[in-house]
Amino acid sequence: MKKKHYFGRGAMFLLCAVFAVLFLLPTVLTITNSFMSESEINSNYGMVFDTTTGGYVSKHVNLKFIPDKVTFSQYVTGLVKSPTYLIKFWNSVILVAPIVVFQVAIAAVAAYSFTRWRGKVRSLIFFFYVILMLMPYQVTLVPNYLVAERLGLLNTRWAIILPGIFAPFSVFLLTKFMRRIPYALIESAKIDGAGEWQIFTRICLPQCRSALFSIAILVFIDYWNMVEQPIVLLSDADKQPLSVYLSSINAGEIGLAFAMAVIYMVPSLLIFLKGEEYLVEGIAHQGSVKG
Amino acid sequence: MAGITMQGIRKVYDKTFLAVDDFNLTVQDKEFVVLVGPSGCGKSTVLRMIAGLEEITAGDLYIGERRVNQVEPKNRNIAMVFQNYALYPHMTVYDNIAFGLRMRHLPRREIDAKVRQAAEILEISDLLKRKPKALSGGQRQRVAIGRAIVRSPDVFLMDEPLSNLDAKLRGQMRTELIQLRRTLDTTFVYVTHDQTEAMTLGDRIVVMNEGHIMQTGTPEEVFSRPANRFVAGFIGTPQMNFLPARIERTEGGCAVCALGRSIALPACFDRPELSGREVVLGIRPEHITLSDDGGIPAAVVVKELLGSTVDLHLKVGETLLEAIVPTAAAAAVLGEAPTVRIAPDMAQVHLFDPESGERIAESAAPEPDEATANA
Repeated sequence: MKKKHYFGRGAMFLLCAVFAVLFLLPTVLTITNSFMSESEINSNYGMVFDTTTGGYVSKHVNLKFIPDKVTFSQYVTGLVKSPTYLIKFWNSVILVAPIVVFQVAIAAVAAYSFTRWRGKVRSLIFFFYVILMLMPYQVTLVPNYLVAERLGLLNTRWAIILPGIFAPFSVFLLTKFMRRIPYALIESAKIDGAGEWQIFTRICLPQCRSALFSIAILVFIDYWNMVEQPIVLLSDADKQPLSVYLSSINAGEIGLAFAMAVIYMVPSLLIFLKGEEYLVEGIAHQGSVKG
Repeated sequence: MAGITMQGIRKVYDKTFLAVDDFNLTVQDKEFVVLVGPSGCGKSTVLRMIAGLEEITAGDLYIGERRVNQVEPKNRNIAMVFQNYALYPHMTVYDNIAFGLRMRHLPRREIDAKVRQAAEILEISDLLKRKPKALSGGQRQRVAIGRAIVRSPDVFLMDEPLSNLDAKLRGQMRTELIQLRRTLDTTFVYVTHDQTEAMTLGDRIVVMNEGHIMQTGTPEEVFSRPANRFVAGFIGTPQMNFLPARIERTEGGCAVCALGRSIALPACFDRPELSGREVVLGIRPEHITLSDDGGIPAAVVVKELLGSTVDLHLKVGETLLEAIVPTAAAAAVLGEAPTVRIAPDMAQVHLFDPESGERIAESAAPEPDEATANA
């Protein structure tokens, strides 16, 4: 019985290890390759990107994890010599930061309203929120484009920021989370003399801290990696974020793209590591929400 | 300090469900009134209406001289202790107690003094830096009470505050509440479904059922002179035995035909209009004694040892009865015998109308104590 138990655990461990390695491979490859010289990169991947002969030379690449010689030249080029990547990085920041901050803020207020408001149309409005949430953003991209055009926001950052701020996903999650707060706490605060704003800021929000952090992390990662929206809504290449620019790498800049991809990963990683506990706690709570 | 007056209070939920109807009650200043009744009887609704957490459908509610139907909870100067304590989980004990004072923008020093004073009264001074999750049930309850008393409200409202505690702690907290009440000397309205709490804590008990007041009175009045069959059955553990019976006149006065025999009734029921009337005879289990000779033979169905007393489940013919007798007396008489002889204390019986359930009042003859005093 005990042997069987150990065998099962061992098999599960092995399976998890295999999957972990598979998932880690691209990240490790990106990081190690970012320290390779341009010539080494070209010798490994050049054949894939070399289309001068009218097609790919080979469909296979020479995957190499350990650089022959470690060099920071790609980073120096990206951060010092060529400002394009840094500008794109900054574009990403100024697009994503307001989306995260304002989406969380608006979601908190909206979720509080959905939690406290007992009007008859509440369920109907919340139902529409859920429907909107279920739609992939590719579906809403065309209406967003038309609205942005009508408002004269096309090719401005607002065309991406405004729809991002009012995304229903956070409202839905936070409403579910806030509904878990015992109503007696709110009633107790009312008797204690708290007004609606004080109940919101001093009773509800502190208890939703893990949910707020986890939503902020999810929203950040979602918008940090966006590609479709900037391509459609920002025709001016100078305004596009690094996520779009990284996808348009060409043969001569593969090494640079690796280095910039690593830099691009850093904010997501830092935010994830910092808020990992909140993320797990928030998701766990959202999973145990009672209808 | 202030009393509470409720006149014709009515509460209807969703225009269909009548939770409380025609509720009239005056709570005197510094009085401890307990609302007691089964689940769903409307007692918590009444408390929540006093707190301002439920809208009043009809009627008038006064706290002191002020009509407060439309007054916000925070402006009623009341404090409430909730069943689940409702402590703010992200705040320390200190912050929980201080929250209400901060909302009133009191100076920091005054807040600190009041919080520490309340903590001292409740013996939770060493817990002030802890968060609620690090407290036991009893400690949480004290913090909840501390949060209420720190504001020196006109009225304390308590909604089943001891129901989440285990039996031992509940008993302890009950005693502490009695002491606290003496210390604070203010008006309390306390909701419970536990009749022991009601009997021990209240100056007055309000027994409720289906949104109506069944009886209001001191614990003694409610226990010894229940206004109707509901109150008689609800107050007292185990509950009162109810037997179908008929009153008849006898040579010596009047008797009641029950349990297949005629049992003499006290003189207070000797009234011509009661003769021949069908009634429900109520006898509390503790008013049935075991008899060595004579008495009514009864089969012992179940015997439950409760410590100093034994709860006997008896069967007389087809009628089931419960009797509480001292353990020593039970041991002497019972042995392994399947039957015992019982004798109800007829001076303690109650008669109820079988249809309305209302108490059939004794005649206005002087009470034994009163008669003795007059003599």
